[in-house]
Amino acid sequence: MMAEYILIALAPVIGGLIYGLERVVRARMQNRQGPPVLQPFYDMYKLLDKHSSIVHPMHVSLAILHFITVWAVVALVILGGNFLYVIFLHLLSTIFIILAGFSVRSVYSHVGSNRELLAMLAYEPIFILMATAYYLLNGSYDIALIRANDAQILPLILIFFAFLLTIPLKLKKSPFDACEAHQEIVGGVEIEYSGIYFEFLYMAKWLEYVFIYMLLLLFAGNNILLGFVLAILVFLLVNLVDNSTSRVNIIDTVKIIMLFGLSLSILNILGIIYV
Amino acid sequence: MELKIRNFLVTSFVVVLGFYSLYLFSISSIFSYTFSYEMHIVISVLDTILLVYFLAQGIKYKDKLVYILASTQIILYGAILYFAPNMQGVDILSDELSRVMFLVINIVGGAIIIYALEYIESEDFSRLKKNSFIVILILFLGVMNTLVSTNNIEIFFFLFELTTLCSYLLIRYRGDRVAVENSLRALWMNQVGGVAILFALVFSISFYNTVYFSELLKVVDGVFLIPVVFLVIAAYVKGASFPFQSWLLGAMVAPTPVSAILHSATMVKIAPFIILKLSPAFSPLLSITISLFAGFVFVGASIMALNRDFFKEVLGLSTIAILSLIMALAAMPSEEARYAAIVLLVFHAISKALLFLQAGILEKNYHLKYISDIDTLADKAPRTLFFIIIGFASLTLPPFGAFISKFLAIEAVTSQILINPLYIFVLLSLIIGSVFLVILYFKIITKLLNKEAFKNSLKEKLDFKYRLSSNILFVSLFIGIFLVNSLNILEILIPLILIFISPFLFKYFLFKNAPRVKEYNCGEKGEFEVGVYNYALSDDTIEKMMYISIALIIVHVVVGVL
Repeated sequence: MMAEYILIALAPVIGGLIYGLERVVRARMQNRQGPPVLQPFYDMYKLLDKHSSIVHPMHVSLAILHFITVWAVVALVILGGNFLYVIFLHLLSTIFIILAGFSVRSVYSHVGSNRELLAMLAYEPIFILMATAYYLLNGSYDIALIRANDAQILPLILIFFAFLLTIPLKLKKSPFDACEAHQEIVGGVEIEYSGIYFEFLYMAKWLEYVFIYMLLLLFAGNNILLGFVLAILVFLLVNLVDNSTSRVNIIDTVKIIMLFGLSLSILNILGIIYV
Repeated sequence: MELKIRNFLVTSFVVVLGFYSLYLFSISSIFSYTFSYEMHIVISVLDTILLVYFLAQGIKYKDKLVYILASTQIILYGAILYFAPNMQGVDILSDELSRVMFLVINIVGGAIIIYALEYIESEDFSRLKKNSFIVILILFLGVMNTLVSTNNIEIFFFLFELTTLCSYLLIRYRGDRVAVENSLRALWMNQVGGVAILFALVFSISFYNTVYFSELLKVVDGVFLIPVVFLVIAAYVKGASFPFQSWLLGAMVAPTPVSAILHSATMVKIAPFIILKLSPAFSPLLSITISLFAGFVFVGASIMALNRDFFKEVLGLSTIAILSLIMALAAMPSEEARYAAIVLLVFHAISKALLFLQAGILEKNYHLKYISDIDTLADKAPRTLFFIIIGFASLTLPPFGAFISKFLAIEAVTSQILINPLYIFVLLSLIIGSVFLVILYFKIITKLLNKEAFKNSLKEKLDFKYRLSSNILFVSLFIGIFLVNSLNILEILIPLILIFISPFLFKYFLFKNAPRVKEYNCGEKGEFEVGVYNYALSDDTIEKMMYISIALIIVHVVVGVL
């Protein structure tokens, strides 16, 4: 039990490390040296020094709430809570950041929020269907139970692929990074934050990494080795794809993910019932 | 002075009514009562007068559909009275379902009436007309209370027609051309429901020899479900399901409390009520047919709502959508789904009423009707904005009742998939429709939320009755969370703390003296006008959806005979 609480406390740090590692791996794929693994933490340190000003209190509060909620989501996953509930709590966290984006009079912020909202249309159904499939296999939404059972990647292979599709969208990786699209809408929602307040958003992003990889590990059940291999493979794959594809616009993103993700998930669920 | 007495009397009346329904809910006893022969005669006479009134209205306004449907009903009703033996049985039977409905009708309806007391004073009508408005609203509550506890389908028909009458009078209340047109449309559409009930009665008497719900549910078998199917069709009419949605959308012309009461506490709630009452008699085939149809309407209405600009119309379409979801769940042969349906029914009523009350305040105090006109509301009307956000959030997000219901529903539908794989389509429509609704709600909040930098919100001044009614609903939302009792306490507390407590803490402790800047916006200058996005369905698609729904309703009838 103690280990779990430590893990929860350290979750942002782990996320930061994954994020740092990712920048290194991506750079190596492009034959660059890249920043050190700890670069995200140096960034954080540098941000502390910056002058922090706010547009209005609600805007900043929503970002902090977003950060806390994502952390709560991660904590619930670690503690083995109810999968479906976790997904809805995660929805709440996304809603917070969307509201934050809409609460300021800034074009980029609004465009970013809008895209975030559309992205939700794409991944939310897949997450819920994923929970449903686990329920059909385990008879419960209990994450602790799923984790205690044998690896379920084979009966859930199609849903696994659907989930893979949503990872770039959730982690804002090419080709599905239209929500953030740095060169185009300057980070979307992030644009109006500065200094210490931006750090919350930054850390929330790391926590999203932890959340997504924790969901990924569920496919491996109690098989730690398999989980390890899955995480590494997916990590490499996502970054490879990120390096080698160009951005798809948001409408097409939604269409692609809904079309393929939903059909894969449905086929998988029908498979569970009939096979 | 007179006004004060009226307000005091009405307020205390609805408060007593609310508490009494709470009391009834808590003692959970079954109440039954049988009307005497004379009472039956009186009801039949009143019913005939009512139908003749509808006929007269049809002739007066030269509305063919109204008088054709009214005369059809008179003939059918006459035939039933003539041929049917005078049956004796339990006429009033209030069971658990009725008690839940009492809660919804009296507490939510009561709050709306308190609100209406103030609202109607700001309109330009004669004193008599203003008072009659309140009277019709109270009559409406009375009719609804009786309707949900009746066991006799004949009396049910009478009350059903009375709700049609109430809505007809309320919709045409303003008396202008549009109001009269829309009220006549509401009248003929609701009479379709009346005809459906009469057909149900005819079949019920001729095949099962009973006019009582309880008897019918006992003797009806899976082979011949026609009476049940016709009652379900009547439910679709009242619930403004496709293709009957236009009467409810037309009802927007009436003063806002009318929309509030139609959408939350009364009228449309008859639809899920009928389904909940009849669902024990459904065959598995009929269950899945209803669930699929309702799922289809759920998704269709949520998408349709995405391109509407009129605030009340958006709320209206989302009512149609959620009602369909409730019906889809209510029709399923599973206890959990039924429970989820009841929870959603209650909380949808509270949230919708809260939203409509705010829509009324926006109209009256800020002259805002269209979403695209709303701007910087956060600076002008923080309290109204807060309630609107809570209203929308309570329809989707944890820890509110509607969320709990969806949560339970997903589980219930998933278990049904194992029995009948067709339920996967119900699950899909549940998920996709819900996501569309989230997008819809937050699209509106987009428009409401944005604040100017450097401006502190003003304190909003509202009339006491406005505040009281909104607060009653707001508090019931919270008490409800704990009554449903399906999540563990941690799962309730996390979002509760996040949504309500922390924002205030932040506001007062963290940012009181934080340095402020104007939006950076990449250094771009110039006017920034906030827009909202739209996803319009083409008229063709909407027309196709209507044909599909008509076809699906015909399928219901076929399923009833199979």
